[in-house]
Amino acid sequence: MRAIMIFLTSFLLMYVDFAFAGFSPIIVSDVEVYFVPRVLLMFILLLSIYTGSRMSILLAVVFGAMLDFYIGSVYGIHAFGMVAFVLFMHTAFRVFHKDFVAMAFVVLLLTMLYDIYIYLLHIILDLVDKPVFDYMALRAAPSLLLNALLFTVVYVIALKTSRVRKEVLPKH
Amino acid sequence: MNRLFNRNRMLIILFGIIILILLIGFSMTDRSSTTRAEQFTADAAAGSQMIINAPFDFVGSLFGTITRSFNAVEENEKLRAQLEMLPQMQADIERLEAENEELREALDISSRQSYESINARVISRSHDQWLNSFTIDKGETDGLTTGMAVMTPEGLIGTVTRVNGGTSYVEMLTTSVSQNNLSVEVMHDGTPIYGNVQKYDKERNLLVVENIKNRSGLSPGDEVFTSGLVGNYPEGLLIGTVVEVENDEYGLSQNAYVQLKSNADNVDVVFVIERSPESMED
Repeated sequence: MRAIMIFLTSFLLMYVDFAFAGFSPIIVSDVEVYFVPRVLLMFILLLSIYTGSRMSILLAVVFGAMLDFYIGSVYGIHAFGMVAFVLFMHTAFRVFHKDFVAMAFVVLLLTMLYDIYIYLLHIILDLVDKPVFDYMALRAAPSLLLNALLFTVVYVIALKTSRVRKEVLPKH
Repeated sequence: MNRLFNRNRMLIILFGIIILILLIGFSMTDRSSTTRAEQFTADAAAGSQMIINAPFDFVGSLFGTITRSFNAVEENEKLRAQLEMLPQMQADIERLEAENEELREALDISSRQSYESINARVISRSHDQWLNSFTIDKGETDGLTTGMAVMTPEGLIGTVTRVNGGTSYVEMLTTSVSQNNLSVEVMHDGTPIYGNVQKYDKERNLLVVENIKNRSGLSPGDEVFTSGLVGNYPEGLLIGTVVEVENDEYGLSQNAYVQLKSNADNVDVVFVIERSPESMED
């Protein structure tokens, strides 16, 4: 039952990500500012701590492949990236599971690194030619801000769907 | 044990990187059709998205109907006035079409402008927006194939690059994939002047058309259409308007900067253009 709930929630969060495509980019004094949400990725990263790596790797493969085949031009980028970041999160940052602030910092940092990874792959494949400074100022920073706002909601959803016991929950 | 675990992990990472490279290579090959696995995954994602979106669309359309009903009387009068002219216009169009067809048959030629359009709705846009692309709710079962032109009511917007069972993936004219081999004609005083799309200038948000012959007399305001000479695009699809003309770096030809008619940021309903087979024979 819990696995079904997690799967359905992941589906919904994927479409929350898609829904933001209608609002972004926002034109600010003739400059396009991109806000890219990574709600699904944040959810899967949190699940790797609170539910276990197997479940989150499975979700990463399924939803990564779905993103690649449905809205991606280059296959494998999301599937491979999500699995790699889930493994990294699970291996390196498991110890922070009781600290909300540390967890928020780690998840947002990994979300930003994930976007940079996709940016670099697109640069290598010569699909985009956005300068690094433009990318950081007009895309990475605004996206980080948006994801920071969304993190609390995703965190609560991840805890609810994972059914984490109270003694494991953060004290903040 | 620890060393073995690390070695295993290294092997998994290496294996993953190899699979990633193979997948990238596979997706970037020039293919005319998609595999069943790709079609199934994309259609499953599209189907579930349509189910989830359905209640939101319903509420949205309800509010839209209420908002529009405030201007209904005024709009109704305008439409009624237009409707009175419609039978005459319809008759004129039928007469001209028949006359055109007769003349074409007499001259034994086919038109590069001949095409059918298939209406489609945009159901999804890539949220990371690295490439300007979107997914539409028509696919192989509706007769779509790779390479077909996609229009908005304002003008050309992109190309169908991947066709699934019930959905298709469209890349916009602002990406290099759609610009590949796109031949255009600029209409200046009723005379077509030919060129090729070189790239999309992202800083100025303008399409760059190259290889235009010197002293062609192009001027800002001239309209740009597809030429129908290359690919699946019929002739005469409106692309945009020339805003600037300059000589190329060697002075051998001219480049034109074109403002697109369609708005890439606001695409909702599109028409997929199916070029008639007779028009490809010339």
